[in-house]
Amino acid sequence: MADTEVDVTDTIDFDRSVLGVEVEVGSHEVTADEIIAYATALGETNPLHVDEAAAKAGPYGALIAPPLFYNVLRVGAGPDPKVNFGTTGFDAGQHVEFVEPIKAGETIHAKAKVHNVYAKTGRTGTMVFAVRRTTFSNQNGELKVVLDRINVRRDIRQ
Amino acid sequence: MTQVYFEDVSMGDEIGPLVKTPTREQLDTFMGVWGGGVPSRFTSDDVARSEGFTGVILPGHMSMALLAQLLTSWKGAQGKLKSMDVNFRRYLQPGDTLTCKGVITDTATVDRENLVTLDIYIENQKGERAQQGTAVVILPSK
Repeated sequence: MADTEVDVTDTIDFDRSVLGVEVEVGSHEVTADEIIAYATALGETNPLHVDEAAAKAGPYGALIAPPLFYNVLRVGAGPDPKVNFGTTGFDAGQHVEFVEPIKAGETIHAKAKVHNVYAKTGRTGTMVFAVRRTTFSNQNGELKVVLDRINVRRDIRQ
Repeated sequence: MTQVYFEDVSMGDEIGPLVKTPTREQLDTFMGVWGGGVPSRFTSDDVARSEGFTGVILPGHMSMALLAQLLTSWKGAQGKLKSMDVNFRRYLQPGDTLTCKGVITDTATVDRENLVTLDIYIENQKGERAQQGTAVVILPSK
């Protein structure tokens, strides 16, 4: 894995002006129906996620969303680093810090920025990684989730 | 749900497996929440085929949500999922069997939080790792 990877970030064409610039990317009012549908699609049976009456009587006083629910909020992706490389892009993964659960009835506001762009050349060619950081807070400004989403571009003809 | 306590766990302990076979219907329900309406590799077999897949695929974060479920169903009501760091290595499709597992790699008390670090992964029915990474869970003390 760690065999002779070379940092080639300097050679990659992308929009460096957006690095670190945080913008608001929208808000989403979370409904109980959305949480229940999302949880059902995952085969979730925890009453905190699928039984509104039970969840209201529980420790959070409301239906709470499963941890990865932030992914389905309809908010924008934020600034685009416009990486000019490769033939294909794909989601390479996520790093996420969970601060508080998202609850039904909350309005979640999201802010996003391009956190980092870097490129490596290794045994399988060059890959360019773009890391976008999104923070999700509720209507009272309480932080819920900090997400780093990693997108990779590569040239599959290499 | 029974509660697991910090004193009960140690390095090398395994959690799971949580075995799931997401259906097309579950994917459609999931995509109904995510929405957008634009045909994609997650909603349209035609689009998926045009991109080189054999049919629709699962969003990476849908499979990752099952890894999260492995952790939340293990930690108990008093535990807390603190973080996840997951790499998406292979795509998964409806009908695939996803085996979600974890193994404890570290335990430490930092700032009065009982932190349990785990390696977590999803294997498909061929035994290939589709996703893998790490997670940190906070467990209560007895």
